[in-house]
Amino acid sequence: MIHRAHVVEACALLRDDPDGLYTLPVFVTAVDWPDREPAAPRYDVVYQFRSLHHNDVCRLVVQVPEDDPTVPTLEGEFCGMDWHERECYDLLGIVFEGHHDLRRILLPDDWEGHPLRKDYVSFGEPVAFTHNIEWALPAAERPPGMPGSSR
Amino acid sequence: MAAVLPPSGGLPGGEDPFAEGRRRLGVAADLDTVELTEIGEDTMELNMGPQHPSTHGVLRLVLDLDGEVVRACRPDIGFLHTGFEKDFERHSYQQCIPYSDRMDYLAPLINNLGFSLAAERLLGIEVPPRGQYLRVIMCELARIGSHLIWFGTGALDLGATTPFLYAWRERETILDINELVSGVRMHTSFIRVGGLMADVPDEFEAMVRNVVHTFPKAIDEYELLITKNPIWRQRTVGLGTISAEDALAYGMSGPSLRGSGVAYDLRKAQPYSSYDHFDFDIPVGHNGDVYDRYLCRMREMRESLRIIEQALENLPSGPVNTLDRKVAPPPRNEINTSMESLIRHFKLVTEGFHVPRGQVYQAVESPRGELGFYMVSDGSNRPYRVKVRAPSFSNLSALPYMVKGGLIADVVAVIGSIDIVLGDVDR
Repeated sequence: MIHRAHVVEACALLRDDPDGLYTLPVFVTAVDWPDREPAAPRYDVVYQFRSLHHNDVCRLVVQVPEDDPTVPTLEGEFCGMDWHERECYDLLGIVFEGHHDLRRILLPDDWEGHPLRKDYVSFGEPVAFTHNIEWALPAAERPPGMPGSSR
Repeated sequence: MAAVLPPSGGLPGGEDPFAEGRRRLGVAADLDTVELTEIGEDTMELNMGPQHPSTHGVLRLVLDLDGEVVRACRPDIGFLHTGFEKDFERHSYQQCIPYSDRMDYLAPLINNLGFSLAAERLLGIEVPPRGQYLRVIMCELARIGSHLIWFGTGALDLGATTPFLYAWRERETILDINELVSGVRMHTSFIRVGGLMADVPDEFEAMVRNVVHTFPKAIDEYELLITKNPIWRQRTVGLGTISAEDALAYGMSGPSLRGSGVAYDLRKAQPYSSYDHFDFDIPVGHNGDVYDRYLCRMREMRESLRIIEQALENLPSGPVNTLDRKVAPPPRNEINTSMESLIRHFKLVTEGFHVPRGQVYQAVESPRGELGFYMVSDGSNRPYRVKVRAPSFSNLSALPYMVKGGLIADVVAVIGSIDIVLGDVDR
């Protein structure tokens, strides 16, 4: 577990140090813990690297708070992190500062919310029929309080 | 010298609708005044997919073309995103298995295995040897089946129709085995947490032996058709090259990485499910081009057959499921006679088992590369979070690098050579 200010240098060290040589970026993702004790940050950003030379994997965890879910991008160190960071932003809303093209990757560009957050309501959305036709409206024009909208 | 097209493009009095297209192509409306666009001055944006037969699913590529040359490639994915990771959080562990089938739908059993191994590591249970060997046999059959699809469709993309039909014929025998053991041909959900759906029937051994005996000849036949075929070599040798360092930086794995000369296979490097009991080689390429990735996969099918043969020879007897009754349901005859077994069965079916708190990363070698399951448990009967590390996702992210500067016709060859499954990319 490390602080986000040191992520880039830690990963560069893991990659370049002869005892590490973690050259293969496996993934980056995040785990949402909204019910952790109040003082603890809400998100765990999880990095995983693989060293083919030493046949080993290494996992780094960076905790980021709810009101500022940002970590620096690792794009410059591993070009393979590009898409993984976009996916993490798309599904969990973690912002990777300095990423050249931080757009949604799996969901449509106009999607609202980040589905893998624990407070995202992902079932019970009504289907728009005549009696609830307002559900078919764009999200901004929908009456407030309809189920299925994300916080 | 005659002006073939009327200057207005044929529409009386209206605007010329083809003017923009002519300008880009360097064709003047009046052929006497043809002006060719200078190379590099203007690129054309071409949309390829998502409904394109050569993109192996719903992959959309936006290509910047300079004539025939690809200057940039921007993949657009997500058309098959199904939210499986969210589904995992809402289902008990055994209920997640059918979802894992549907991610990489060409080798569903290997997805089952990855999920099951991750959950078993959290539970701290081990599957008996017979279960492990049967898992290996089924997974290697799935790997061959997946490679056969890659071979057939990849060759079809480049204009060779015959291999497609041959590969489908052979794959049918593998699907028959799936049907025999599980009742389902493709999304079998045969591998479960704690073992297998059931032990295999008696006909299983003969059918697998048939595969082991007939497939080497079939693969010889494919190689005769394709491997030294001059047209195939012209379309694949030296194309879509990627060096070992770049492939690693992009997070590539599996045969796509081994084609660049990196001998890394999780079955050898970090053996799971008794893979260390078997003797097999890791085929590697040298040049990292489409042809080397092709050769790697063809040889991999032969290695898989070797593994199946050894596993079948040494298939242990005994149970296939773990004996831990907190995970595996009791046998049917016990339920009839024992109240405790009946209660246990009821609890397992309605509630599932609880998995101790913790987190684990379990990677398996799928036909496409490193398929990883990062599983976090909070002690309940459902996974708290499952992150699927999809091999196709990382492999596809290297596509723009591999096709840049090549010809548009070769984009199709490169997509075929990294063997993506869009269900795996988008999850």
